[in-house]
Amino acid sequence: MTDVAAILKDIDKLKPIPQVTHRVMAIAGKTLSSASDLADIIEYDPALTANLLKVCNSAFFGLARKMDSIHQAVAYLGMDQVVDMVLMNLGSANLKRAQKGYDLREGELWKYSVLSALMARDIAQSKGIGDKHLVFTAALLKDIGKVVLSSHVRNYFDEIEKVIREQDITFRDAEKLIIGIDHAEVGSMAAEKWNLSGRMVDIIRNHHLGAGWDEDDMELAAVYVADTLCMIMGIGAGSDGLAYRFHPNVVEKLHFSETDLQMMMASFGERIQEVEDLLSNE
Amino acid sequence: MNIIVGVSDMKVSSDPDSVLISYSLGSCIGIAIYDPVAKVGGLLHFMLPESKLDEGKAQKNPFMFADTGIPALFEALCDMGAVKERMKVIVTGGAQVLDQKGFLNIGKRNQIAVKELLSKYKAEIDYEEVGGNVNRTIKLLIKNGEAWLKISGQEFREI
Repeated sequence: MTDVAAILKDIDKLKPIPQVTHRVMAIAGKTLSSASDLADIIEYDPALTANLLKVCNSAFFGLARKMDSIHQAVAYLGMDQVVDMVLMNLGSANLKRAQKGYDLREGELWKYSVLSALMARDIAQSKGIGDKHLVFTAALLKDIGKVVLSSHVRNYFDEIEKVIREQDITFRDAEKLIIGIDHAEVGSMAAEKWNLSGRMVDIIRNHHLGAGWDEDDMELAAVYVADTLCMIMGIGAGSDGLAYRFHPNVVEKLHFSETDLQMMMASFGERIQEVEDLLSNE
Repeated sequence: MNIIVGVSDMKVSSDPDSVLISYSLGSCIGIAIYDPVAKVGGLLHFMLPESKLDEGKAQKNPFMFADTGIPALFEALCDMGAVKERMKVIVTGGAQVLDQKGFLNIGKRNQIAVKELLSKYKAEIDYEEVGGNVNRTIKLLIKNGEAWLKISGQEFREI
């Protein structure tokens, strides 16, 4: 067993969430916010502004004309799209690096996080589930704990692999058993330290639906289904592979047929290249 | 030179310097085929078993599905001079999430689709490593047909 307290100290080594993100999330959550309020907030942050304009003008959006300002971008792309871009930007500093313990090459964790966030948001939208920005952000950040835990997983990989094989447990349970803490727990603690909402913290902690998850939490269900589909597609699957549990009751609660889910995989399969292009512009 | 075969993608080559590689197979299946005489090879990374799910998508990208991707792979290789009787066929991937018995077991269904299609082509599988809950990467060297397999978390090994 490792020194869990020392691992938790490593949370402080993560790059903190920029202040502007909290303000953007607050605006996104209010129904009466205006596009112009959103643009004003973003333009206070020159680095974010520059980055967003670069992404707006990338092949991902394929816009006929170049965007020169965030106000223009918000008017052209809509608030939701711009909020998504701000949120994507918040994870990138931490998620882009290679995570050797999980055998993920540079950019892989990031690509997976963005794809699963887009997918979770689509699920929330199509099923009319709660706050789609919350779902998007939670899906985007749910594996932030892997960044902290990666070196420990690397050190204990043989033992982790052995207990999974011998005891038929999930990778996350094996982390807990061998290291003393798992990536979902570490991720939720990072979210707490960043002052993200209690809902966000809960979804990150429970995204693999461990013991004690609330079966009626449809926002969590959306994040879980997106994560599972990505895993099946091999997106972001590293040394933990597909060693997580499948919960068909969640899929039933969301009224998804098997065909629906296959269709979603097919649609997102087509979008992988788009997301790769988008991320290469970040 | 590495030629990356993405999700729902296929590449064929006769360039002896090229290595076809497909990362992160998950429940998807990678089929590598090599003809040692013609020295041509191909690698398909398909995602789903049946194109009837969405024929429009299959038309746009036949490599997404087993029943459109596998014929495309054979056709592309034969066009480059490969002969079916000489082909060395490797099948890998098709993993599944724990407890994924019937519902949405794409890994298992992909495995079945491959068996059916290859038997239709009367092609024998020379090496197969499928299932489990691991993530796999495969590469094929065009110069000599060597194939290397990696389970995430482990090193590449020759198969």
